[in-house]
Amino acid sequence: MSSPFAAILQTLTRQRGVRASLIVDQNDGIVVDSNLQIGQDGDRVAALAASLYRKARLSAAAARLGRASFMHLEAERGRICAAGHNDLVLVVVADPAANIGLIRVEMMRAVGALP
Amino acid sequence: MVDEIRRWSDELASDPASLVFLQLGEALRRQGQLDLAQRIALRGLERHPHNADAHDLLARISVDRGELERAFDEWDMVLRLLPAHVGAMKGMAYVCFQQGRTTDARRYLERAAAVGGAGDAEVAAALANMGRAGPPTGTPNGKRPSVAESRVASPAPPPSQRTGHGSSPRHQFAANDPRALFADLLGDHEQTALLLDDQGLVLAGIYVGEDGRDVGAEVGAELSGVTDAARRATRHLDIGDWRAIVLETEIAVVTFAPAVGDGLLLLAASKSTPLGLVRRVLDRCVERARVWLEAAGGGR
Repeated sequence: MSSPFAAILQTLTRQRGVRASLIVDQNDGIVVDSNLQIGQDGDRVAALAASLYRKARLSAAAARLGRASFMHLEAERGRICAAGHNDLVLVVVADPAANIGLIRVEMMRAVGALP
Repeated sequence: MVDEIRRWSDELASDPASLVFLQLGEALRRQGQLDLAQRIALRGLERHPHNADAHDLLARISVDRGELERAFDEWDMVLRLLPAHVGAMKGMAYVCFQQGRTTDARRYLERAAAVGGAGDAEVAAALANMGRAGPPTGTPNGKRPSVAESRVASPAPPPSQRTGHGSSPRHQFAANDPRALFADLLGDHEQTALLLDDQGLVLAGIYVGEDGRDVGAEVGAELSGVTDAARRATRHLDIGDWRAIVLETEIAVVTFAPAVGDGLLLLAASKSTPLGLVRRVLDRCVERARVWLEAAGGGR
């Protein structure tokens, strides 16, 4: 049985360079749904990305920068993107060469469709 | 004047990043609407924290509100941004004079005369008045000059001292004060940058908050914790060292990059700034920080 998030995740994972897309509970870092390439550990990605996004969101609020809407971490061998909506976080892990502009647009569109 | 205020208000409403807040704030100040003028100036400073004219405007509003210490601090900031700003020197002289610090007042006036040339009648008159009045305390009659007299040294920067987008004054400043280390790299005054050490303490740069204060220390402390989470995530996901974080919020785009010695470079820009531009400025700030830290002692 497909979850209500399957179409959203499939659209994201079709983007060039995307290794994994997940919807994660922001509070406990548990996977709600995921679309992973072989070799990706969904639970680990979910926990770490949700923790990072939560920390960024709280820090931005504490610094009076308002509500965080999108976060992108760039590393030597990959990228992590996260966008939150209510208690859910949409997470994407991608290659360094992925088109982050396109991924961001898709994520912002998708996050608006989250409940 | 009412029509102009309405026009400037409309312009600012349609383009909140516009520098028209300077004219609007000044017009409101002249009309005596000091609370509104102050709010306009503070909002402008949120978007243009390195704009010397904005600090100058807030200083003049503060004087009218009787907040002399705040006015002095704002003019001090103007001089950090533009060391040759005669209006700020005159303003600081005025504040010192009002506070009975005549030696300091004279020093600022003499500095203004030296920078602005002997042709500045206001400065010359103020110096002459001070000579006639003597020190406000400790004189035989102990009489302080009247406000009208001391207002001769009032803050009224000539047009030639107005800041534009020229970068030369900022270059003069960058070598002297860490707070302006990145000033010449931050285009259109819509960005602000901080260099933090591994404890989240500010090493260089400035971050002006809603109330016009430098809140770099608070912001640095709050945001530096993000990098610990970033290190943990990249290590466990085996994607190498992190290079940059971009965080978009309701009102700003905040970017981070690692700096020499486990430090952190933080760049905040208005929401309207293109992300690609923010990244380019961030890279330039990182390089500036590297050179500065190495010159300061080989990094920390």
